[in-house]
Amino acid sequence: MTHAYGNRSGVRYMTGGLKVYYVPWRPFLMQNTLPTFYGTLPIIRTILIRERISLVHGHQAFSTLCHEALMHARTMGYKVVFTDHSLYGFADVGSIHMNKVLQFTLADVSQAICVSHTSKENTVLRSGLLPEKVFVIPNAVDAAMFKPAPERPSSNDIVIVVISRLVYRKGADLLVEVIPEVCRLHPNIRFIVGGDGPKRVRLEEMREKHSLQDRVEMLGAVPHAHVRSVLISGHIFLNSSLTEAFCIAILEAASCGLLTVSTRVGGVPEVLPDDMIILAEPDPRDMVRAIMKAVSILPRIDPQVMHDRMKKLYSWHDVAKRTEIVYNRALKCSNQNLIERVSRYLSCGAWAGKLFCLVMIIDFLLWRLLQLLQPAGDIEEVPDFILPHQHQESEVLEDFKEQCLG
Amino acid sequence: MVKFSFSNSRYTYMNESEWPSEAVGIHHIVVQRSFLRGFCVSALLGNGVYLLLVKENSVPVLFWSLLLTEFLLMFLLWNPVYKESVIIMPAFGVQLETHYSSGRIVHNFVPVGKILKPVLVECVTPVTCYWSLSLIVRGEEELMLAFMKLRPPLKMLVPIWKSLCAAIDCRRRSTTFREDG
Repeated sequence: MTHAYGNRSGVRYMTGGLKVYYVPWRPFLMQNTLPTFYGTLPIIRTILIRERISLVHGHQAFSTLCHEALMHARTMGYKVVFTDHSLYGFADVGSIHMNKVLQFTLADVSQAICVSHTSKENTVLRSGLLPEKVFVIPNAVDAAMFKPAPERPSSNDIVIVVISRLVYRKGADLLVEVIPEVCRLHPNIRFIVGGDGPKRVRLEEMREKHSLQDRVEMLGAVPHAHVRSVLISGHIFLNSSLTEAFCIAILEAASCGLLTVSTRVGGVPEVLPDDMIILAEPDPRDMVRAIMKAVSILPRIDPQVMHDRMKKLYSWHDVAKRTEIVYNRALKCSNQNLIERVSRYLSCGAWAGKLFCLVMIIDFLLWRLLQLLQPAGDIEEVPDFILPHQHQESEVLEDFKEQCLG
Repeated sequence: MVKFSFSNSRYTYMNESEWPSEAVGIHHIVVQRSFLRGFCVSALLGNGVYLLLVKENSVPVLFWSLLLTEFLLMFLLWNPVYKESVIIMPAFGVQLETHYSSGRIVHNFVPVGKILKPVLVECVTPVTCYWSLSLIVRGEEELMLAFMKLRPPLKMLVPIWKSLCAAIDCRRRSTTFREDG
């Protein structure tokens, strides 16, 4: 379940029995819906009942819809799992508020998943969640999609690829320092920069200032389907993020047979074996040193060998199996009544604890009111329906009709 | 002649066929009035009991509060639609009717040649999600709802959808015969 994107609204059936609800709540800031606290209760309740849901899994600490859905699911007695995909700070005003919201959501979650051990440490410290409840399941890469080029790019130039959002968090300012220095030291190096963002202007200015138009190519935003074709045109992948919980981009690059140079931040050291990645401090001089080292060991790299290793190390099937284990653990958690659950919120803070309790009590009362106005028996359950292959269409339709008529 | 009918707490579904040929299929969805009446009566009684307990002696206050409750209930719960019907005439087309409590009837006829396919779709709004039966009409960008005002449950929509599919298929086959022969 997510919010509507443009005019993509309503229900979509995907392959493998996946069904997506695009609820028509307009995003108001950075792809997030307006936090109304209780506004989403009716639609979430309707969807959970009609689809016979057993467990609710929310993603991303910055998603208002996620926090609201998890809150309502807990009120209605469903088991809840939360996955955190990013690292956040502790010191600035935005992070302090975000961490408080996270503390509220995670105070009563059944289980949590983080994408790296560093991310687990960060989440546990920010939210006060018990470490025993947090599982580490790293992301994976689709090795079938990210294959190396049949032949390596043959020119004498060494091509360094950068694909990221050009924002402060992703180290776009570091790139502005590093690229001219590397171009000066090594006349055979070219850069391809894919991605867009507020810092793109700085990179364009850097190109003009150092006359690097023929050595630095700016591609703009690259759709995900075209990322592989951009990656295979290069030899080295450069990641300059200032913070990263995991970094799937370097997995994709390694799967395409590129040697990676990255900043040593967050969960990045946990992602690739030491012979596939060269780490540097998020400092321009250290990054230039790392790039030079990468250039020197480049002749020893075999893209196909790298791809085969990545295929064995990471697979989405493995992630699915591990996630299922977390779901089974969550479903075994005991059911708790309102009083027991509310007492967990009181430990969140002197004032915050009482506020959270109040929010949950009001949510509980609103849920009871909704049960009176629209009893669960009035909400029809959806029959199971999986997209048929062509020859199965009539059988699936007959099955659907039987389920509807009971 | 009523072939079969069944109901839930809000609607009653009735399937009729026209004598003598039974070629025409008529499907009605009727709003249940009893549910509404019961709610109004209990709300008014509740209001009256509350006022007695508070020992409100002033007659104008009693009168106005009861009147206000009545208007509020009518505004929130009154459904001007009494019945909606789908009349399927396989050779000609489909007639969609909305019957209002005031006696007004709104008709909408769709020729069978213009109907591409009847579909059951799930509609998602910011507060709820429900099934609706719609027609994909040639030349129109938007789907045409079979039931404009009411939201009957899926169990009531499926027999109507089956009849519509059968009528469209029948027409398509007879058109193909005519083109071949």
